[in-house]
Parts: sequence; C-alpha cells; structure tokens
Amino acid sequence: MDTVGRLMYNWPGAEFNASLQIPGNSQLSEKLYDIVIVGAGVVGCALAYKLSMYKLKVLLLDKNFDVGEATSKGNSAIIHTGFDAPVGSLESQLVTKASRQWPELAEKLKIPVENCGALLIAVNDEQNKQLDVIYEKALKNGVDDVRLISGAEALKNEPNISKDVIRALSIPRESISDPFGTSVAYTEVAMANGTDILFGVEIKDILNADKEIKTLVSADEYQINTRIIVNVAGLGSRKLADLYDGEAFEINPRRGQFLIFDKFSRSSIKRILLPIPTAQTKGVLVIPTIFGNLIAGPTAEDFTNGDAEVTDTTLEKLHLLFEGASKLFPKLVDNPVIGTFSGVRCNCTQGSYLIHSNDGHDGILTVTGIRSTGFTSSPALAEYLIEELQEKCGLFLENNPDASDSRSENSWPGWWNRPYDNGDLVKENSEYGRIICYCEQISQGEILDHLTSPLRPLTLDAIKRRTRAQMGRCQGFDCQIKIAEIISDHFGIPINKVTKHGPMTEITASPLSDAVEN
Amino acid sequence: MKTAEHFKVIIIGGGPAGIGAAVGLSKRGINSILILERNDELGGIPSFYKKKKGGIRTFIRWSRGGVPVFGEDYAKWLESQISKRNIEYRLQSQVLEIEPKEKKVTFVNPAEGKNRLTADVIIMACGSREETTAERGFMMGSRPMRVFFTKQLLQLIDKHSLLPMRNPVIIGSDLIAYAAAAKLRKAGAEEAIIVDKGRKPKCSIFERLYFRRWSKPVYHGLNSLESVTVVGSGAVTGIKFSNGEFIKWDGVAIGGELIPNSELALVGNLKVELPSRKPVVGPDYQLSEPGWFVAGNILGGFHGAEWCYFNGNKVSKKVIKYLSKNSSSN
Repeated sequence: MDTVGRLMYNWPGAEFNASLQIPGNSQLSEKLYDIVIVGAGVVGCALAYKLSMYKLKVLLLDKNFDVGEATSKGNSAIIHTGFDAPVGSLESQLVTKASRQWPELAEKLKIPVENCGALLIAVNDEQNKQLDVIYEKALKNGVDDVRLISGAEALKNEPNISKDVIRALSIPRESISDPFGTSVAYTEVAMANGTDILFGVEIKDILNADKEIKTLVSADEYQINTRIIVNVAGLGSRKLADLYDGEAFEINPRRGQFLIFDKFSRSSIKRILLPIPTAQTKGVLVIPTIFGNLIAGPTAEDFTNGDAEVTDTTLEKLHLLFEGASKLFPKLVDNPVIGTFSGVRCNCTQGSYLIHSNDGHDGILTVTGIRSTGFTSSPALAEYLIEELQEKCGLFLENNPDASDSRSENSWPGWWNRPYDNGDLVKENSEYGRIICYCEQISQGEILDHLTSPLRPLTLDAIKRRTRAQMGRCQGFDCQIKIAEIISDHFGIPINKVTKHGPMTEITASPLSDAVEN
Repeated sequence: MKTAEHFKVIIIGGGPAGIGAAVGLSKRGINSILILERNDELGGIPSFYKKKKGGIRTFIRWSRGGVPVFGEDYAKWLESQISKRNIEYRLQSQVLEIEPKEKKVTFVNPAEGKNRLTADVIIMACGSREETTAERGFMMGSRPMRVFFTKQLLQLIDKHSLLPMRNPVIIGSDLIAYAAAAKLRKAGAEEAIIVDKGRKPKCSIFERLYFRRWSKPVYHGLNSLESVTVVGSGAVTGIKFSNGEFIKWDGVAIGGELIPNSELALVGNLKVELPSRKPVVGPDYQLSEPGWFVAGNILGGFHGAEWCYFNGNKVSKKVIKYLSKNSSSN
C-alpha cells in the first residue's frame, strides 16, 4: 500500500506533459480498492477524509478536474446550527451534531471559520408571531443558545439593518467558512494518508455489480476494481444509480442565485441576516463571507435534471434578490455588485438525506438529496456513512496508526495570511512579493505553491478557488491571462490549452492564422 | 526602527496620467519624485497595444492633429520622457494601503518586499478597468470560457499570437468596443456583433468611420428592459436575446465602460461616490484629504491616453501650487 495517495488525471493536454496523464489502464485495473467514492463534492471529500483514518484502499474520483467543482462550489458556506431544520430528521441530527464538531475540525484542517452569529429579523406583526414558533423549533432541535431580542437591541447590535425591525432571534453559533478550501483540505489530508484521487473520469458502466468485486468502467474504458461503491455523485447520482439498478429517486436541481458585493460593504454588518421564511420560500439572506465580501441570496428555482440552463443567472431573479436583501439591509443599494453566481442544490423529490445501503446489490451505498446543509453536516454525515458501511455493507475497519487527521503545518497557511507580511519569506523567495491578482493581492509565489502542492490545481477556476486570485472586483480583468501564463509555464503546456475548468473550456482553439499579416 | 523613505511627490501608477504628472513636476523643478507601477513596465494600457499582427493604430495621438500611433510606440515615448529626466520609478510595485493623514503609502514588490514610504503629496493615477458582466447589469447566463475583457484580447492577440474567438459578440459600444472589433477582424475573426443598451452605439460616427477600414460590425441595440444571456456550459456557444432569438457564436468580448480604480482611496476613507466609484474631487483635483491628488481615468468616464497625459500635466501645476502654499520646513 502506498503511504501517500496518488493524484491521477485523465487530462486531454497530456500530450504536452506526461505527468498529467493517467498511469496505464493496466496499472489502474491491477489495483483492488476497498472503496471507490464516486463524486468529489464536499460530502465525498469528507468521507474520504474520515475513511483515511483506517487501513483501507480508497479511491475518490470525479468527472471534473478538481474537488468541489459542481454543487459544492456554489454553497453560501454557512455553518448552520440547525436551529430551523425539520425536527427529528436525519438532516437535523447531523447538522446539529456537525455544528458542534466544526470548531475542532477547522483547527485540524486549518481552514478559517468566523463565528459571526445570525439574526432572524421580524419586521411586521405576522412575522413577529412566527418568531415564537421558530424559537420553539430551535429549542426542540437542541439549539438552546438562541435568544429572542427586542428590535432596539437588534438595532444596537446591527445599526444598519432595517429600522422596521420589531423583534429578532439571535443565533450566536451560526458561522461562516471557506466553501472551496474545505473540500481541498479534506482531500489533502486523505491523500497524505494514502487515498488515491482520480479526476476527469465519468463512470459509464458497472460490471459484476452483484459480485464481491465490482468493476467501474469509465467513458474512456478505464477499469477500476473495488469491493464497495459509494455514490455521492450529487446531481449525477441518479445516472450512476441507474447503472446498478438502485432504488427509485429523482433529482430536481434547485437553483440558487446570489449577488456578490464588494469588500468595503462588509463592514456595515457583522452577522448573517435572515428573513422570516414564508410557506413558499426561505427568503433572501444577507451573508458575510469569510473572504470579506457580502453575498445576498439565494433564490429557489426548480429544474428538471440535465437542464442546460440550470447554472444561469437571470435578470428578473437578480432584481428580486436585490429587492429582498434591501428589506433587511436598506443600505445595500449603495454597494456595488462585483459578481453574480448560481449554485445548484441536489434536491431530491423523495426527500433530503436519502441513504440506501446495499442499493440494488450488496456493497453499494447511495447517498443523495444532500442539500445546502451538506457543507455543515459533512463531518457528521461522513461518520454516519462509515457506520452504515460497517453495519450493513460488512466493511471491516482497522485503525491506521500512521494516519493523521490534521493538515500538515508546512502546507501554505492559506489566503487569509499574506506572505509579504513576513519579510523573511519575500527575501527567501521574491515571488511572494510579485502581486498577480491586484484586487485580492495574491502573489505569484502563492499560486506556484498551490501548483506544486499534492492536490495541485490545473485550471483557472481551481486556482481561483484555492488562492482567490480572479475572485476580486475586477473578475480577472488584470490577472486571468497572467495566471494562464503561469500555468502554461509551470506545466509546459501551450497557453491556449490552459482551461477554465477542464476540456472544452480551453482559452482558445485557434492560433492566429499565418495568412493574417500586419 | 528604520525611518520611512520620504519623497516630495509619490505617484501611484505609471500609465499616461502618472507619467504626465511626473514630467510636469520635473519640468517645474521638483526632483524628489517616485512612480510606483504594478505592471512589469511603464506605459499603462497603451503598452498592451503591440505593433504586430492584429495591431492597429489607435487614437492615442489623434486628438491634437497628430496621426494615430500604435500603443506600444506611445508607451515607449512616455517611458523615454521618464528616463530622459531621470525620474525614479519602481516596477511590479503594488500599493497595498494608504494612510491619508500621515501621507503614507504601503506597497510590495519582489525586490523590497513590503515597504512604507511617505511624501508631501501623493497623486493617484491608478487608471480604470472595464466593467464586469455583473456590473453591466444586463448580461446573464452561465460563466463559460471565452468571455474576455478587451484588455485580455490584447494580451492574447498581441502578446501570445492567439485568436481568442472566430465569431465575436462584443458587449459595449464605445470606442474600445469598436477598436476590439477591428482588432479581432484583423487577427482573422469574422465580423463582430456589437450589443449594448440604446438605439445607437456610444462610439461617435467619426470614430466608427475610422475603424471601417478594418471592420464593419453589426450593431444590436437593446431597450432598457432587455438582457442578453450568455449560453455555454464549457466555452461560449452563443448568446440569447430577451425575445428568444439565439445566435450561435463562439466568444464574447466585454469592452469599454470604464470603472475607476478608486479602491485604494475607498479603503483609505477618502471620499468616493458609490456605486460609480468616482473619487470626489475638488476643482484643483484634490481628494477629500489635503495633499492627495488624482489624475487620468481614475476621475471617471472614458479618456484616451493622450488626454490622460495632458491631464497629468495639468494636475502637476495644481500640485506645485499646493506645495508652494504648504511648503514644509524640510
């Protein structure tokens, strides 16, 4: 067994750089995995992390070229307390449990968490009545540190919220974290403990699903042998479940659009602002981000699975967001929007947190319907899934004494530290003094650190999520091409083959025609 | 503790406006000047317009009866003005923060790391950038590859000899958008479609006539309620209008509509209008804190390189006046 996991790609640019290529198919199929996790979203990554504490051969694979590239990247990154979750549900249990695990988890994974707290705001009598109901629900969910406060106290805490506030519910433990860095951190630790990672591989077939050793076949005919398959493929979970005749469920992607406001807006509020939910919708939240921006959202729009327009933003909905958010925080209209995005929740018609053990065949675990709370619940959900695997799928667990549950100290401490604040670092490596992303003030040295890290990003988007470069107010105006140049130099691939998030997103297909002369 | 270096005037930005100000000050006898430029070379945006395949003479010198020149040539001329006068500049130097009362500037570059400087006067000549898709407010859809700012087109065409797209849609209709259409056409792309709000393009008829030598883009005006949706999950496959009309196209350029780079002023608590990001400036080009001046495109609006150079020059006169009134004893 390898001590450190391998990172493998099915990278179309491999003709330029052999290190971007999957080792031969024979090498891949020779290995017998104990567990293959299909889907490297936050849940898959958390599961890989928790499984890496045991003596197991685990492979985490995804059709995309980075972790957290689908649903997980659009998360608002709130660490929920679970105060408003459906009482008694699995979701509620896992969220409440996980919310108490997060402070320690964040310390181990070295990801930033800010305990900003939240205010649920009532602005009319109807909402005021609702507030009592929600308060009771919070207590039932075991979130006993919530407190009803007067409008005056709410305004004292948050002077910029709507003056119409009558009463509010303070939820002090609601926190925010890094939606992108979390999946990366989970996976880096898993890799250090021996988990293999495989990107760019979409599963098209499963052979011997009914046997002890099953074979996953990719679209490119790669074969992967494993005893257990865990389907955490999110929006792709239905398609995968069809390959092994899994139990019936349907995915109805639910889109959530967000507005992103510039950093100087952040100082006007401290807490997450929540409206009173109605029967139809949870309403528009105003959320501070760990990166120092504010976001407003989400919408909730249902689509059918496979709909191409599911990640679009739309004019009408963005206007509604602006309107909704201004009701909580009227000053918002003065603040410039720097970006918009939409996330797609893995909404399942049959319910949330749908878990089927031995689904279709022994040794197959289906996990789907993990909505936005999956970010919060991921550590507790992963533990729950391991218990399921142990009890129902006959997984034998033996502790791996060499495994560590913490991210190593020498991995770069992250975007929230600026390397040039440490003068010695720039003296050792002047690249830390060369700023590439002006808005977020990210240096070339940091980008290169990530490119040489175990879970190296290969795409412009992956670098954006690791370093924040291109994520500022200019949205890549100044730095995107420079970052493409850095990737191109580093991997020895032509700049036009650098991609945004994998094949078909190359910078351009065409060199200048020679016929065109000045 | 090491005391901070002190200059009479620090200029943030080594583009046309910053250089114009430096030259003006130098001509008027100020010797202690430092330009902080974050790029690898002086010259600002003109330096991105290279004299090569796909290169076109832009308007840089047209305003005063001169002939249009290549941006690169103008940038070289600007640089020669600086070297001729031995004006000090530091490249790859990104200003991180400012302290208006103390007239202090903190910056970082590879050679020095993080460093702090003080000055009697600081001129912010930070230029501008192009509005993002979100800032335009009518561009919706997904976020595929091949949605480029025109600055990025310059980098791809002029620096890397790549054709970013074969069938371009250009969002925005000012001079920059028409220049982009010409540039793309000359680099081998098909005629562009230019899309913007309004019945007529913002670029003047005379400017449009100039670019007809290279390209005759089709203008598509939108009314105030309409939006365009960028389509494509990987790279751009087309755009869709509000009426449902879909055009199969392989790239989008978002051009012009400049936004002042006033963030330093904002985080330093100098007065800046929001959401336009225009710094609040008195008649003498001074910001809300005495001794802080602005020049060039950071003022807002769209101005060519030569305008910025002369504006920098003009601001240098105001600075001289300020310095003579507030001459410090040192």
